[in-house]
Amino acid sequence: MKTLSSKGVITFLFVCVPFLSFAHDVTSADQEILRNGGLWAYIRVGATHMLTGYDHLLFLAGVIFYLKGFKDILKFITVFTIGHCITLIGATYTGVTANEYLVDAVIALSVFYKGFENLGGFEKLNIKSPNLLLMVGLFGLIHGFGLSTRLQSFDIGSDQFLAKILCFNLGVEVGQILALIPIVFIITMSRKQKQFEAFYKAVNWYIVLAGVCLFIYQMYGYFNGYH
Amino acid sequence: MSYIKSLIIKNVRAFFLLVAFGFLCSHNLYIKFDTYFLFPNDEATFSLFNGTFENSENIITRDRIIDATIVGNNEKSAIDTNLWKDKDSTVTYVEFKTGDAGTYVAGVSTKPRNIELTAEKFNDYLKHDGVVDMLKFREDNNLLAKDAVESYQKHVKAIYQVGDVKSNDWQTEFGYPIEFIPLENPYEKYTHESLEVKLLLDGKPLPNQLVYADYLKTNYFEDEHNHDHSHDNDEHEHANHEGHNHEGHNHNHDEHDHSDHDHDHDHEGHDHEGHNHDNDAHHHEGDDHNHDHSHSKGQQLRTNDQGVVKVDLPEDGIYYLRTIHMTNVTDNAQLTHESKWATLTFEVIHNIDEHGHDHNHHDHNHGEHHHAHDGHDHDHEGHDHDHHHDHEHEDGLPLWVFVLGSIAIIGVLFLVFRRKN
Repeated sequence: MKTLSSKGVITFLFVCVPFLSFAHDVTSADQEILRNGGLWAYIRVGATHMLTGYDHLLFLAGVIFYLKGFKDILKFITVFTIGHCITLIGATYTGVTANEYLVDAVIALSVFYKGFENLGGFEKLNIKSPNLLLMVGLFGLIHGFGLSTRLQSFDIGSDQFLAKILCFNLGVEVGQILALIPIVFIITMSRKQKQFEAFYKAVNWYIVLAGVCLFIYQMYGYFNGYH
Repeated sequence: MSYIKSLIIKNVRAFFLLVAFGFLCSHNLYIKFDTYFLFPNDEATFSLFNGTFENSENIITRDRIIDATIVGNNEKSAIDTNLWKDKDSTVTYVEFKTGDAGTYVAGVSTKPRNIELTAEKFNDYLKHDGVVDMLKFREDNNLLAKDAVESYQKHVKAIYQVGDVKSNDWQTEFGYPIEFIPLENPYEKYTHESLEVKLLLDGKPLPNQLVYADYLKTNYFEDEHNHDHSHDNDEHEHANHEGHNHEGHNHNHDEHDHSDHDHDHDHEGHDHEGHNHDNDAHHHEGDDHNHDHSHSKGQQLRTNDQGVVKVDLPEDGIYYLRTIHMTNVTDNAQLTHESKWATLTFEVIHNIDEHGHDHNHHDHNHGEHHHAHDGHDHDHEGHDHDHHHDHEHEDGLPLWVFVLGSIAIIGVLFLVFRRKN
């Protein structure tokens, strides 16, 4: 019975998780919205992108899980936000880009990293875990670069170029706030529950597995894709 | 432990199979509009999808295009080579003005190119792209072990409707080495009907040729599809909507059984080295035996003595026909085979009356809608045809599925850890 249960869990995870990244692609609908919708469209697409960018959300959930207290959350999210603003605006404006698969693979690793750290992975390996604030800032830069490569895959033209980038960034922040509200709420509420430990492990194992699967998916895409 | 290991290996394999759908596709060429209903004298875009009809994987380099023409209102206009653009290294597209109302046809013809394939890969390609007549010929004549050098060329057409005026340009013969020509205007056909299409090879009807027809379902008239109905917009905008993605289509890769297929083709295996092929060439790569699913789906038809197939139009959707006509080459030392590929795309919707009926049946009531094609108003009560519909997302899993799936997974893990605790 126990064996069957393990089998079910693993199978389910492997079947479900690989799809995560599909929703993260730039869609032609987005392109159309941007083409016709002016600056507001950039805000909208930025927000949508963040809200459907599961890798970003999983990473944020991982960060929130690790923290206690609103002040801490604010501090870490601010660092993450500053990080991704720098690369999102900077890389887009200067036209720096990279292979999307590789960037997304690194973002997937950041997801894995957060879950791993939350589960006490470093302690189990007798390694001192790196400074979290620094890591969150670093991953913020990477996530921002991912957002930038995505934005650059749109045909955004040269007219109001900076304004479009800033609006997209603003949309990302709006999306992030919208996403954080339920995440913070659920995690905060869960802390008060008796079964918080099991919930904590479940979510962070999910984050770890999602990170691994996303990474495999992106690397597979890198080696076999046509970008 | 070894059990767990084998389970993981099994699941990793399943994972790669699933992921493979995103990448492993042969390269049929299609002219694709987001919607085939366009406004008159409006900006519009069509793309060359080189891959599957759902996903383009490569651009088409300009030197390959030997003809690109739009015919409408008795006028033939060539598409200027400089107007072609590329997007994301995967899609070649062109923006153009639609012109006056009428039924238009666009055609693109590409240069022949050669590809060298090992016997095994050639056989696999024949099998998975549905070129079964040639495969049978090889089987019957003990040629399965023979390598192939194939010359291939692609000739594609799309018929689209501008405004509401139906004109006769849809039947224009482009003179391509192979081409589909409908016997009736597709835009005078409606869902649940059928359309007869003639296949010409070098200008003559081609009998007994396999033709595959499939479609991407569209849902303009169904509210269930989670469109982002913008009820403040009174107009049914068909023009130039790249974002018109049809998730609900019936081409469901998940339905296929891949368990028996070993994936042993790699990209190198279909490399066009030494053949001056660029990446928009006729790729068989990745036809890793997944392709029963993607290339023999839909209707499998065979032309009659007059070279005609009858295509059923069971649902609202964008229909795409494809065929590969392949012959043995005996008079050329370089080549063993020659293939000519043709596709035709068009869109079919409900008869307006029927649609109104359906809509009432479903009791949809989203206010008045003004369906404007060329200034012809079709008043549809009860829905909004705004093609800006924003599917929750286009290219993959809807958000709600992700959320529910994640909750389910976390729930299962939670139960496991709670039990452990």
